[in-house]
Amino acid sequence: MDRRKFLKKSALTAAGSIVMPYILPSGRLFAQTGSPMAGHVVYVLFAGGVRQQEAISQRYLDDSQGVNIPGNIMYNMFNGAAPAAKVVYGTDVPGEPNGSAPISSVLGNTIQSMGTTFAEVRATTAGHYSGLNTLLTGNTGVTQGLKQKPVFPTIFEYLRRHAGFSATDCWFVGNGIGNSTPLLDFSNHDTYGAQYGANFLCPSVAFGADGVEHLSNAKIYHPDEELDPMYKMKYFLDNAFRSNGGIPVPNIGNTEDEKQAIKQFVADMFVKKQAGQITAPPVSDNGDLNTIGWACEVMQRFKPKVTVINLSNVDGCHSDFTGYLRNLHRADHGVGFLWNYIQTQIPDMANDTVMMVTPEHGRNLNPNPILDENDWFAYDHSDANSLRVFTQMVGPGVMPNLTVGSENNPIGTTMDNVLTIGEIFGIKNDILSAGLMSGGAMSLFDRI
Amino acid sequence: MQGSKRLLLIGLVIILGLSSCRKEKDIYEVNPEELQLVETSKFKLKTVNQYVAILYANLFQEALSANKLVEINRLFEAIGDDQVAKEILISNFMNDPSVVLPSDTDMRSDPETFIYETYVRFLIRRPTEAEQTYFMNLINTNSDITVELIYFSFAISDEYEYY
Repeated sequence: MDRRKFLKKSALTAAGSIVMPYILPSGRLFAQTGSPMAGHVVYVLFAGGVRQQEAISQRYLDDSQGVNIPGNIMYNMFNGAAPAAKVVYGTDVPGEPNGSAPISSVLGNTIQSMGTTFAEVRATTAGHYSGLNTLLTGNTGVTQGLKQKPVFPTIFEYLRRHAGFSATDCWFVGNGIGNSTPLLDFSNHDTYGAQYGANFLCPSVAFGADGVEHLSNAKIYHPDEELDPMYKMKYFLDNAFRSNGGIPVPNIGNTEDEKQAIKQFVADMFVKKQAGQITAPPVSDNGDLNTIGWACEVMQRFKPKVTVINLSNVDGCHSDFTGYLRNLHRADHGVGFLWNYIQTQIPDMANDTVMMVTPEHGRNLNPNPILDENDWFAYDHSDANSLRVFTQMVGPGVMPNLTVGSENNPIGTTMDNVLTIGEIFGIKNDILSAGLMSGGAMSLFDRI
Repeated sequence: MQGSKRLLLIGLVIILGLSSCRKEKDIYEVNPEELQLVETSKFKLKTVNQYVAILYANLFQEALSANKLVEINRLFEAIGDDQVAKEILISNFMNDPSVVLPSDTDMRSDPETFIYETYVRFLIRRPTEAEQTYFMNLINTNSDITVELIYFSFAISDEYEYY
């Protein structure tokens, strides 16, 4: 190619790249504004209202029951020695008091030592649904009602719209269908909404007794010989419907291939469950731990860009403090298992995943009058102490062994996580430009 | 003589008066109308409960029990994408031996009737000429097309989601 031709082609290419915006297959017009720090985010909504005193403050019974026994019962996540006495949070051993065998640590190093811990973060609310809403939308949503889809876009919608993620890139694994949690897969915001939603899955219900009865016998149709003509007929019917003014049914936009992959996953999981082969942490005697096991199955199959896992068993603290300690210990066990599983069992996600852990809110400073099996008082969540939580992050681009803030120096809010995940995927500015964050929200990286 | 004439006149007046005042009888009738319109005019999205109950009735020709309806509704909540949940549920129904489907032989022996009945069963209307032709061609030229696949496509069509 001579010099003149080369210059002409270069000039045309340059002009074309300026004039013609690149339309990505996902439909987004321009490339995202920042560079991704990691390929995946696993975001744990931890775990139904966690009191700072028993979590990062490691006070065990000291700040709750007037028993002078401090200690760390979350030693996968936090540095610190376990309680020296009155162990009730472990597993049962015949002939010993209930819960007297602490669960062994899964991780060689704590999340605190491997990543960054925001030790004193402010939650925006003391309610579960509004707390989860804030963690997923970055907005306090003052007009948000219960039993109503989020008013503001969720992190899933931002990622699908601005980073071009597909539906199966985004999963929300819940441990129940109560408290409106299935509504959190997308908002009813008119410029985002269903078309940018996540795949929600509540395995305990989907693969429970009802699922076995109504879903486990599903046929997997042949993609070319059966599904292809079936979808062609459906599209013919849809076109006829729309040409007469019919409205397309809103949906999250799983493609035919994605739908087929999910159906195959569901069928395979019923077989695996029947064979007792579903992944689970070494101790999996509560719903949260089983949910983490199911989430591992989802990640193993789909390698999602973003996986949100909702845990909630510690909320039993309303009436059972001993049970709360056990479930808190197990939530820590689950998080340790989860991080270890990602690093050792999912090569596509190992060393390319950032994990974030934040409770949706804390719990009260003072107890209610309900006593449990150990005559310990229970705790609700409604006062200022309920707004005290922590956030942990670990993975590529996250400073190791860094603790930010302290009890007297709170840094960060639960509104910050959406922008933080946005920054991890390089779309923080796109999210900010949408103008739908709460005013005080910042990426946690900007708070360090 | 004078008296009988008067009587005759009075009688005539009475007879004429009675006959002239008789009210005409109203006859009410219904004009013959085509109830299954071709035009689609469905704008209300079915709830999950409505969809499942109607689907079950369409496929099994009987009502779904309230308990099962609650169970299936919970499953739809547990699988966020309704489209996926519906497809899994329908394929389960298709695997149920009590599902009521015409045979493929019946469909191929009289495709026109089959198409008409399928439209009426699922979409509560008769097909347009274009729709009739499309499905006639499909059935006549493609031996892999089964009643099950056609029923499945109707059950996942957008129009079936509305009423």
